[in-house]
Amino acid sequence: MSRAGETVWEVFARKEYAEPLHHVGTVTEDDEELAVVSARAIYDEQPWIEMIIVPRLSIREAIRA
Amino acid sequence: MSDTMVSLIGSLADNKSALGRRYGEWAVSAPTIESAVAAAAMAQDELGHARSTYPVLAKLGVSRSEEPGLDAGHPLPVLASELPDWASFIAANLVVDGVLTTFVASARDSSIEPLAQRARKILQEEGAHKVHAEAWARRIVRAGGDDLDLLRVRVSEMWAVSSRWPGPTADPGYAEAVACGMVSFGPETVRAQVRDWLSPLIDGVCLDEPTEWSDWDSEWRR
Repeated sequence: MSRAGETVWEVFARKEYAEPLHHVGTVTEDDEELAVVSARAIYDEQPWIEMIIVPRLSIREAIRA
Repeated sequence: MSDTMVSLIGSLADNKSALGRRYGEWAVSAPTIESAVAAAAMAQDELGHARSTYPVLAKLGVSRSEEPGLDAGHPLPVLASELPDWASFIAANLVVDGVLTTFVASARDSSIEPLAQRARKILQEEGAHKVHAEAWARRIVRAGGDDLDLLRVRVSEMWAVSSRWPGPTADPGYAEAVACGMVSFGPETVRAQVRDWLSPLIDGVCLDEPTEWSDWDSEWRR
């Protein structure tokens, strides 16, 4: 199954409100709702209190070394 | 406790156990790694729902002749063996899971408190299953071609069997269960809610009201 053209989502999560969100991985899905389901299923190894997903194409580089 | 409610609760557990097993078999062969993991998570959910539903019967003083287990019970024929293709997986996710979850929704405020407790927990987890089914249906509809043709066939096959699970519209035992507040609506409404959800998702599938009941088994609901 070709996955060309599908959206890559960066997944961030944290376990406590005092912590910043950490990058925990990616999921590849063209459907936003399915991407949420996938992120929750794949990265469920920790008791997260918050998880967000961001389309990789929406991220803007501020510094490139 | 009516025979109808005993049958519905026992068969719900049997079919959730079988659905969990069928989902689990695709955890190593789904078309994407994301859906393979989702299949494993949904399998875990369904097996958990089965394990938590069987004791409802025991709490109500009903004992079954067989111990619950992976191979136990009397599930729908479409769940009796491995789902042959991914379209079957999605059709089971849409139709079988859809019918069972709609029944569970009718028991959210059941007068049978152990059932109501399980129903509320099950419905929390089934939300993700519904999102998965809808998203894959949209994806296959967008792709069209042979994949969509096969999905239409599989959904129609699943509907032919699953739509009979709630039973005949005029079933007196079900009507009594509704009247006593054990469930909030009957078989016709279960079918109508699933049909109203599925129809806009996939056109060209047969979601007719079942008419043939002469061979229907009211104990195993198939």
